[in-house]
Amino acid sequence: MPHQLSFDLPVQVALGEGDFFVAPANAQAYAMVTQGHWPEGKLALIGPPGSGKSHLGRVWADRQSARIRAAAALDPEAPLPPAGARLVIEDVEHLAPAAEEYVFHLHNHLRATGGRLLLTADRAPSRWPIRLPDLASRMQATSIAMLDDPDDRLLAALLMKLFADRQLAAPPDLIDWLALRIERSHRAAAQAVAALDAAALSLGRNLSVRLARDVLDKTRPPAP
Amino acid sequence: MTQDMWGQVRDILKGVVGANNYTNWIEPIEFGSISGGVATFFVPTNFIGNYVAQHYGDQIMYHLNRLGASVQRLSFAIAANAQRAMAPVARPSEPHDSGFPDPAAHIDPRFTFDSFVVGKPNELAHAAARRVAEGGPVSFNPLFLYGGVGLGKTHLMHAIAHELRARQPHLNVLYLSAEQFMYRFITALRDRKMMDFKQMFRAVDVLMVDDVQFIAGKDSTQDEFFHTFNALVDQHKQIIISADRAPGEIKDLEERIKSRLQCGLVVDLHPTDYELRLGVLQAKVEMYRGQYPGLSLRDGVLEFLAHRLSTNVRVLEGALTRLFAFASLVGREITLELTQDCLADILRASDRKITVEEIQRKVSDHYNIRLSDLIGPKRVRTLARPRQIAMYLAKSMTNRSLPEIGRRFGGRDHTTVMHGVRRIEELRATDSQISDDLELLRRALEA
Repeated sequence: MPHQLSFDLPVQVALGEGDFFVAPANAQAYAMVTQGHWPEGKLALIGPPGSGKSHLGRVWADRQSARIRAAAALDPEAPLPPAGARLVIEDVEHLAPAAEEYVFHLHNHLRATGGRLLLTADRAPSRWPIRLPDLASRMQATSIAMLDDPDDRLLAALLMKLFADRQLAAPPDLIDWLALRIERSHRAAAQAVAALDAAALSLGRNLSVRLARDVLDKTRPPAP
Repeated sequence: MTQDMWGQVRDILKGVVGANNYTNWIEPIEFGSISGGVATFFVPTNFIGNYVAQHYGDQIMYHLNRLGASVQRLSFAIAANAQRAMAPVARPSEPHDSGFPDPAAHIDPRFTFDSFVVGKPNELAHAAARRVAEGGPVSFNPLFLYGGVGLGKTHLMHAIAHELRARQPHLNVLYLSAEQFMYRFITALRDRKMMDFKQMFRAVDVLMVDDVQFIAGKDSTQDEFFHTFNALVDQHKQIIISADRAPGEIKDLEERIKSRLQCGLVVDLHPTDYELRLGVLQAKVEMYRGQYPGLSLRDGVLEFLAHRLSTNVRVLEGALTRLFAFASLVGREITLELTQDCLADILRASDRKITVEEIQRKVSDHYNIRLSDLIGPKRVRTLARPRQIAMYLAKSMTNRSLPEIGRRFGGRDHTTVMHGVRRIEELRATDSQISDDLELLRRALEA
């Protein structure tokens, strides 16, 4: 029987404030971003891929009507934002060396005019590959909010959200089954859900523990 | 009475849906009201609402009706933000958050001579800045301050501006960064207002340009800077310049500008020493007393930071700022342990992931048993307890799954691991020896 083709289409990810699940693993970061006092008007939001940095950044940006910019796409020739602007720069670890001077001036400008700057990255500022020492020291002096690996509660909620983002209704026992068996990380949860979605579609089967057992045993990475 | 009813429904559901599902989906729901046949609940996020509606909606409705309520429909609303967030934290007073009319003229109110901590490495620069700030006949023009990042160049310049404004308010003092100079120059060119630009700059009494190395390589800006510079020097107006290195070492800076910059007094700010760093931290703590009332700081923390963070003052101050913000958020005393946790990323050379093998090794060392016994099949108490402790640490300190941890403990089943983890969780609360051991092991592994 021919397999149903499945396409890796971008999923419709819910990024509203009401979609952000607050659990002990991310409560501190959530509180710092949304209601905490940011020393010097800046904050670095650090977490592994898929941990909700962009989501939380979006929640803040919506509240503050801040603009969101990807670090890799910053134009070094662009004019500086207006005084007191609120800005999110995402994935600072991908900042191009050519844009470092621009970010330096941008940072000083926002600080001097009472603006706010939220930086997101997958590692702490002291590990960002920044060559301009003036910028590096300013980044290192930034306060940090950390999104860590999810705890068990958050992992279950995360799995559920990932299924919901794909318009899939996962039965409760499947969530439980997965939460006990996958690695406790955002990436592992995303991979498991993607694999199950693809398998359910191509095999024409419903999401279930049996399907998960068949699919995930095959895709489990060999123990290093 | 309806809250009671919801309590009863919850108890029934607890038995029906299983403990895990209950904690994940039912517990987070708060009962709102029943009116017009619609029962309203508050949920922390949209998808929990959707999920509960899909999977447990019928059951909830059934039990509510069975208990005498008349409900035809369930509605889920997002709980108010206040309820979702953590307990309210003591919010430090915002120092200043208002916009400034002219960003170029902005002088940071915190950067004064009083707040500048003087030590051996910066005493010469400080003395020169003081001298210039006292006014009087221009003794050295320009004053050129240089030094690595975060050693206090900008602080001294702002302090001079404060002092001049206080002593001689009639003087026209202009402080700006090299980048702002360039921006104004380019804007003037574009808007054909070069005359205004020249007039404005030549009318100042004291000109301060910060981080002048940023105009290097930008030819027409350099040119204009040179002319402005000469015009002011000719009128005996004071100029103060800062850069990250000595004038002669700035790459792509025109020779004539270099020699001009060198003809005044050139002073450098040396890297900090331990005493100066400690002094900076102590001054900063005094400043924070007002902003974070009620925070307490253990002895030894400042010494530890001054010893460990020797790169530059900005990073040092940033670390202290982070520490205070974090401690006030979690409402804890600032101890050495809290400091190490909060600043792990700058205190440690690399982010290393702890492995299950490391945990096994540390635990077997700690309890003085062989690694092979820890992993092996023997079930005597002297081995089983350390094994459970290692399992607990593996579960909480790594992100490995239960089956994966089981495999690394001699191919045990994931339910065995789960049992071990639960057992230690229980013991931890009652047995102080075990909780001490756990703390000790965790520290040793994270060190």
